[in-house]
Amino acid sequence: MPSLLGNIFKGWADYSKGNEEGGHHDYEHMYALVIDLDRCTGCNACSTACYAENNLPVVGEDKFGARQAMHWMRVERYFDEPDMDPDMGPDTSNIEDANETGTQSRGASFLPMMCQHCNAAPCEPVCPVGATYHTVDGLNAQVYNRCIGSRYCANNCPFRVRYFNFYDNSESWPAPMEQQLNPDLSVRSKGVMEKCSMCLQRTRAARDTAKREGRELKDGDIQTACQQTCPTSAILFGDLLDEASAISKVWKNHQVKLGTYKQDKENPELRGYRIFEELNVDTKVLYLERVREV
Amino acid sequence: MTTKIDRRNFLKVLGLGGAGAALAGCDMPSYATMEEGEEQVFSYLAPEEYMVPGIGIWYASTCLQCAAGCGVHGRVREGRALKLEGNPDTAVNKGKLCQMGQAALQTHYNPDRITKPRIGGKEATWPEALAYIKANASGAPVWLTGSIGGHQAVMLDTHLSASGGGKHYAVETVNAQAWQAACADTLGDAHPELHIDKASSVLSFGADFLGTWISPVKFMTDYGEFRGAPRGVLTVVEPAMTLSGANADHWVAARPGSQAAVALGVAHMLATEYAVSTSALPAGAVDAIVAMTPERVSELSGVDAKTLSKIADTLMSNHPSLVIGDGGYETAAAAMTLNLMLGNIGATITPGVELIPADLGVRGGSTKALADFASDAQAGRIGTVFITGTNPVFTAPGGLMMKDALAKIDLKVAVALFEDETTQMCDVVLPLASPLEDWGTHVPPSGAGRGEIHVQQPLMEKLHPDVLGLGDILLGLSQDAGADGLADFDDYYAYLRTAISAMIGTDLETAWQAVLQAGKVQAPAADRVFAANGALTTNVPETNAPTAGQLSLITTARQGLFDGRHANLPWLQEAPDQISKAVWDSWAEIHPATAAGLGLKDGDYVTITSDNGAITTRVFLYKGVHPDAIAVPMGRGHTHYGRYATGIGVNPLSLLDGTADGRTGEFTNTTSVRVQATGDNRHLVRLMDVDRQYGRKLAATISADQHRRNQGGA
Amino acid sequence: MSAQQNLPHKHLTQDQVKDIDENIEWAKINADVLRSMENPRRGYWVAMFISVALFSIMIYAEVHQYIYGMGDAALNTSHMWDLYISTFVFWIGMSHSGTLLSAILHLVHADWRKPIYRFAEAMTTFSLLTAGIFPVIHLGRVWNFYWVMPYMSDRGLWPNFRSPLIWDAFAITAYLTSSVLFLYIGMIPDLAICRDNAKGWRKKLYTWLSLGWRGDDAQWRNFRFTYLMIACLLIPLAVSVHSIVSMDFSMSIMPGWHVTTFPPYFVAGALYSGCAAIITLFILLRYFFKFEHFMTMPILDKVCKLTFVIAMVWTYLNLVEFASVWYGHDIPSKEVLLAKASGPYSPFFWAMMFFGSVLPFALLSQWIRRNMYVLFFVSVFLNVGMWLERWMIVTPTLSLGYHPQAFNVMWPGWVEWAMVGGSFGWFGMLFLVFVKVFPSVSMYEVKEMVYHRKRTVYEDVDEMMNLHSGVPGPGPGPLPGSPPTPAPQSTGGI
Repeated sequence: MPSLLGNIFKGWADYSKGNEEGGHHDYEHMYALVIDLDRCTGCNACSTACYAENNLPVVGEDKFGARQAMHWMRVERYFDEPDMDPDMGPDTSNIEDANETGTQSRGASFLPMMCQHCNAAPCEPVCPVGATYHTVDGLNAQVYNRCIGSRYCANNCPFRVRYFNFYDNSESWPAPMEQQLNPDLSVRSKGVMEKCSMCLQRTRAARDTAKREGRELKDGDIQTACQQTCPTSAILFGDLLDEASAISKVWKNHQVKLGTYKQDKENPELRGYRIFEELNVDTKVLYLERVREV
Repeated sequence: MTTKIDRRNFLKVLGLGGAGAALAGCDMPSYATMEEGEEQVFSYLAPEEYMVPGIGIWYASTCLQCAAGCGVHGRVREGRALKLEGNPDTAVNKGKLCQMGQAALQTHYNPDRITKPRIGGKEATWPEALAYIKANASGAPVWLTGSIGGHQAVMLDTHLSASGGGKHYAVETVNAQAWQAACADTLGDAHPELHIDKASSVLSFGADFLGTWISPVKFMTDYGEFRGAPRGVLTVVEPAMTLSGANADHWVAARPGSQAAVALGVAHMLATEYAVSTSALPAGAVDAIVAMTPERVSELSGVDAKTLSKIADTLMSNHPSLVIGDGGYETAAAAMTLNLMLGNIGATITPGVELIPADLGVRGGSTKALADFASDAQAGRIGTVFITGTNPVFTAPGGLMMKDALAKIDLKVAVALFEDETTQMCDVVLPLASPLEDWGTHVPPSGAGRGEIHVQQPLMEKLHPDVLGLGDILLGLSQDAGADGLADFDDYYAYLRTAISAMIGTDLETAWQAVLQAGKVQAPAADRVFAANGALTTNVPETNAPTAGQLSLITTARQGLFDGRHANLPWLQEAPDQISKAVWDSWAEIHPATAAGLGLKDGDYVTITSDNGAITTRVFLYKGVHPDAIAVPMGRGHTHYGRYATGIGVNPLSLLDGTADGRTGEFTNTTSVRVQATGDNRHLVRLMDVDRQYGRKLAATISADQHRRNQGGA
Repeated sequence: MSAQQNLPHKHLTQDQVKDIDENIEWAKINADVLRSMENPRRGYWVAMFISVALFSIMIYAEVHQYIYGMGDAALNTSHMWDLYISTFVFWIGMSHSGTLLSAILHLVHADWRKPIYRFAEAMTTFSLLTAGIFPVIHLGRVWNFYWVMPYMSDRGLWPNFRSPLIWDAFAITAYLTSSVLFLYIGMIPDLAICRDNAKGWRKKLYTWLSLGWRGDDAQWRNFRFTYLMIACLLIPLAVSVHSIVSMDFSMSIMPGWHVTTFPPYFVAGALYSGCAAIITLFILLRYFFKFEHFMTMPILDKVCKLTFVIAMVWTYLNLVEFASVWYGHDIPSKEVLLAKASGPYSPFFWAMMFFGSVLPFALLSQWIRRNMYVLFFVSVFLNVGMWLERWMIVTPTLSLGYHPQAFNVMWPGWVEWAMVGGSFGWFGMLFLVFVKVFPSVSMYEVKEMVYHRKRTVYEDVDEMMNLHSGVPGPGPGPLPGSPPTPAPQSTGGI
C-alpha cells in the first residue's frame, strides 16, 4: 500500500516536472519540423511523396468528395493574408472585397498541414484503448493493431489531421500496383485510424543503420519523405534535443520554445510561429511566416 | 526504300535488353553482377551477395515524367522498386523531385500498361507485329516523338537515315520554344543558363517556371535560394494564375495575349521614369518601346500605369533581376528586351554549353512540329509513322484535325506504355518498357551541370516480359534497316556501354560501375558565347480584347497532369490542383465579376464553345484570372487512357484552332469562346471548400520590411 | 376524517382527483395485472412485428457496415461521430426515467409513483440495453470491442483510464447492473403472486425467479431495507452516468463541446426525456391493458407537471450554455452557436428549441393533460425534441471546429437511420416481451398505496381489512389455464 501511494506521488511529480520542460517523459529525442511558408511553392510534391512512402490509398472522386480521403500531408491554399502589417496598404486579394472587379495582387498562401505531434496532444488521453500515445522520441504514435476505431481522437484534433479507414481500400492497388507498397510499414485495414508518423519507419531504419555502423545518429541521417522531396527545401526535420542540429538552431533563432501556449519573444517580429498555439497543445511544427513585398 | 526488319535480329534483342546488364547501385560491393543470359526471375534460393531482404538498395536513374530529365535514386527492396527520390549528385535537381517524378512508380506499376504487341487492336506476338510492319510499311518512315535527347536521339537519327531519310517530328505541347527563339535571336544562344538563385528580383510574363517551364525542379531549388536571405522579389504578369503566379509578391492580371504589351510598357516606364538606357537594344525594339505608352498598355492589357510603375520600381530596386517570358514570341522577345535594358545579361543570364558530341543534344519538342506533321500527313507525304512519347490525337488543337491527318497515313506504329487516343488509331502497337525498366541517356534541357548527361538504368526486372526498351527497339530497327556499325551490339545496353565508355575514355568495369552509381556522366562541352544583339522583332498585336460577348479561353498545363500524359496516375488525379484544389475533374476558372455577368455561381456547369468544338464543365470562381478570360487547365478529358483517366473531365485543347505564332510557328494557347450556362450545378470536389482562414492564424504573412529587419533570424 | 374532502376543481368528481380509488380490492388488483399478461391479441403482434422488422433492418445495416466499413454510415474526416453517438446519448437519457420514479420519488415518499414505476424501471433497463449497442457498433473494428474492458491481457495492456469512453463503459455497466438488480428485486413479491397464479412454463419461471418468497414479516423487513439501499445507490449512479456520458463531449476541446455545464445539462435532459417517455408508455399501457384504475388521470397529471418543471430546468441550462458562449470570447464556439441557429442544421435546431422549450407549455393546460390523444403526441414530440438536441450537440460542432479546411456539412445516410430506427425496434421488442412475461404494474405497491389511502379516508381501516381478507371479491377470473383460486394463503401483499 505505501508503495502504491509512493508510486502515485512519484508519478505526479514526474508529470509536473515534465510539463515545464515541454512534456511529461524522459525524452531521448524530440523530433520536430520547420516549414518555411515563404519557400513553399505549394507544388504538392510532399503530399505525393507521402502517398508513395506510406502506402496511402487513393479513394477516388466520390469518396474524396465525401471527405473520406487519406492525405496525411495536405497542402492547403488560402487567398487571404491574416497578420499582414496593416500599414502596408489594402489587400485586394481578399475575395470578399467589395471591389468585385479587382484581381489577386499577391498570389496565394500555401500551408502544408500534417500531424503536429503535439507534446500535449489532445488526441492521446481520449483513446479508450490507448492506441495513440507519445513516444520517447517526442512523436505521437498511432498503433494500428490496437485501434478499435472509436474515432474520439480524430474529433479532438483541432487540426483535423487524423484520417480514418472508412473502407477496406484494397481496390486502390490493382495488380501490379501492390508491388509498390512499402513493406516497412503496414497497409491499414478498415476501421483503423492513421496519420502522419514523421516517417517513423525511416527513423527506425536510420537507427538500425547507425547501429550497424557502430555510431550515433547524427543530424541529417533521417529525412522524412516530404522533406527529402521538397524542391525548395521548405521542410526541415530534426531532433530538438540535439543542440547541434539545424532544426534546433532555427527554433532558437525564432525564439520559439516548447511547453508554453504564449511565446515570450524578445523580438516579436520574428517569423516563427505555431498554429493554434493558444490551445496549449504544444505542437512541434514551427511555421515560418510567408513574406510578401508590398 | 522499304524498312527491312529481320525477325531473328529482333528476337535476339528481345528479352536481353537489360537482363544481361550489371545492375549497379549505391552502397554495395562493386563486382555484383547478374550473369548474362541467366533467367530473368530473381531467385531467392541463391540471392546475390548484396541483396539482403529487408534492406533497400538505391539505384541511380533518370526521371522521364517530363522533358526536364531530373536524376533520381530509386529504392529497391526484394527486387521491387518502391520509392523514388531525387539524385543528390545531379546538378539539375540536387536531390529533389516533384510530384510527377514521385508518381513515376505508378507509371511503371500501372495496371493498364500494354503488355503485348497488338495488331489492329488484337494481341499478337513480336514476330507477328514485326512481320506486319515489314509487310505494310510504305515509304521512308518518320518518327513522331516527344522531346528526346541523348543516345536514343542518336539511334533514332540513325534509323531514319538508314531507312530513307524520313523526318523526325519532336512534339511537346508544353515547351519553351518562344523563349528559346527569343534567346537565339538576341543572344545567339537558344539555351542560356538562368540563375534565379543569383537574382534579386524575378519578373515572369507567363513563364510558369515553378510549375512546368523547362525544368521546374531546377528552378524550384533555385527559388529556395532566391527566397533565402537576402530575399528576392517575384512579380508575375499573366492572364490566369499559374503556380509561379501563386507565389508572386506581386501578381498582375493582364488580358490574354497582352503580356508583351505590358513588358514593353515596363520598358517604356524604365526608359522614361528611370532613365534606363536603351542603347543595348536593336532599333526596332526602341521604336516599339517608345510607342507603348501607359495609355496604350492599359488599352491593350487592362494594366494601369501605377502597376507598371510598381513593376519598374521593383526591378530597379532589386539588382540584378531576371525577366522571363513565354506563351508567344512577342512576350519572350519583350522580356529579353527588358533583360538587355537592365543589364541582366551576364549576371543572371549566362551562356549555356554546347555538347561536344553535338548529336546527343536535346531535340526539344514543339507544337510547330505537330503542325508540320499534320500538314505533311494531310498532303500525303507520310507513308509510315512511328509514334512514341506523345499523344497527338489528344494534345493537338481541335483545329488541326489530327485524326483526319493520321487517317491519311498508311502504316502507323505506336511504341507506347499505355493505350491512348493515338494508339487507338494505330495499326500496330508495340509495348514499351517503363522508365524504371529501361536503359538510356538524357540531356537536361536546362543546361545545369554544363555537359552533365543523366544515365537511366533499370531499377528492377521487367514487370511484363514482352515489353522492350525504346533503345532496344530503335537499335533493332536500325540494324534491320542496314545501319552501319551496329552489328556488334546485341542490345541497347551494349551500345550504350560502349558509347559511354568511349566518352569517359575507359572501358574498365569499375569506371562503368561508377557511372551507374552516380547516375550521370560528364560529357565534354564547350561554353557558348553570347553573340552581339541580333534581330529582335517586337510586334504587338493591335487589339487584344475578345469579341464582344465572348471570353478568351486560356489553357495551360499544371504540374501534375501536365499535358494530360499523367492523367492515368491515380496519385496525380487525387493530388489537388495547386490553385483550385480540385481533384479528379476539370473546371473552368473565371473571375467573380465575369461570373456575375453571366449569372453563374460556383459549381455551375457551362458550355464553352469555339469554332472547333465545345466542352462542358464546372466553373470555379476566384480573382486570379483576368475578367476577360476563362482558364481551363489541360490534362483531363481523355476518351481512352485507362481506368483512371477515361471519361474524366474535359479537354480544352480540342477548342483551340491551331493558330500559330508568326516567328516560331508555335500554337497560341488561347482562342475566343462563347460561354453559356447549362443550368446544371454540382459541387466541384476539392480538398477544401474554403478559401479564407476565418481569422485563424494558419498561413500567416508578414511584410518584407518586417522580414528584412530580422533577416538574420532565418 | 370523513370521506368528503374539498374538491380542488368544481367540475371534477372525487374519483377524478384521487390518485387511486381506495376501494379497489386486492383480488381485483391481482386479476387486472395478471390479465395483462395473458396471451396477446392482434394489436400486440402488430407492434411486435414492427419492432422485429425495425430490428432486422438494423441487423442488415450492421452486417453491411461490418463487411464494408464505416464509410456508408455518412461519416468522414470532419464528422467522425454522428447519429450513433447522439442516439446513444438519447437512450442513456431515456434510462433516467426509471431511476427518477423508482428511486428519487421513493425517497421523498411520493406515493403516486407506485402504479407506474415498474414499467418505468423496465424502461430504464431496456434503454440501457439499447444504448449499450451503440458504443459497440460505432467502432471501426467492432470485433475488438472487448478491449475496453479491463482484463488481464497477455500483452499486459489495459484500457486507457484517462479516456471518457472508458469511464462510460464503467459507468454504464455499473448503472445497468444496478438497474437490473433494482428492477428484479423490486419485482420479487409480484413474481410470487404470478407464481401462485400460473401454470406450465410460467409457473416454473416464476417459481425460480421469486426465490421462495413467502411474504412473512422477516422477509418484508429485509426487503424494505434492501429496496431502500438500492434506491439510495441508484440515484448517484444515475447522476454520474449521464454526467460521464456528457464528458465524452465536455472533456474534448472542440468548440461547442468544451462546456462545463454539460453534466447537469445532460442529466436534466435525461430526466426530461425519461419523463416524456413515461407519459407515452403510460398512455399506451393504460389504453391497451385497461389499467385505468391504477394509472389514473391524477397520476398522469402529476407526471405531466413534473415533466414541465424538468423541461424548464433543461431550458434554463440550455440558455445558460448559449449565454456563456454569446458573452464569451471564444470565436470558434460562437461560430458553432451561430451555425446552429442560422446554418444548414438550423431547421433542426429550431425544431429542438420548439419541442424542448415551447411545447412543454402545453402541459400546463389541463385540457391537454386530460386528453390522451393529444398528450400522446405531445410526449412523443417532446422526445423527438430531445433526440434532436443530442444530434444538435454532436453534428454542428463537427461541421465546424478550429480548422476551416475541415468545415463540412454532412447528412446521415441510410445505414445510420437504419440503426436509429432499429434501436427503437430493439427497445420495443424488449419492452413488449417484458409486459407479457412480467407484471407491468407493481401489484404489491399498488396495494400499499390503496391501503394508505384507505387510512386517510376510513378510521377503521385495519378492521375493514380484516373483514375482507380471505374472501376474494368478484373478479374476472383467474388466468386461463390456471387452477381455480385456492384457499387464501399468505401471498405477496396484504
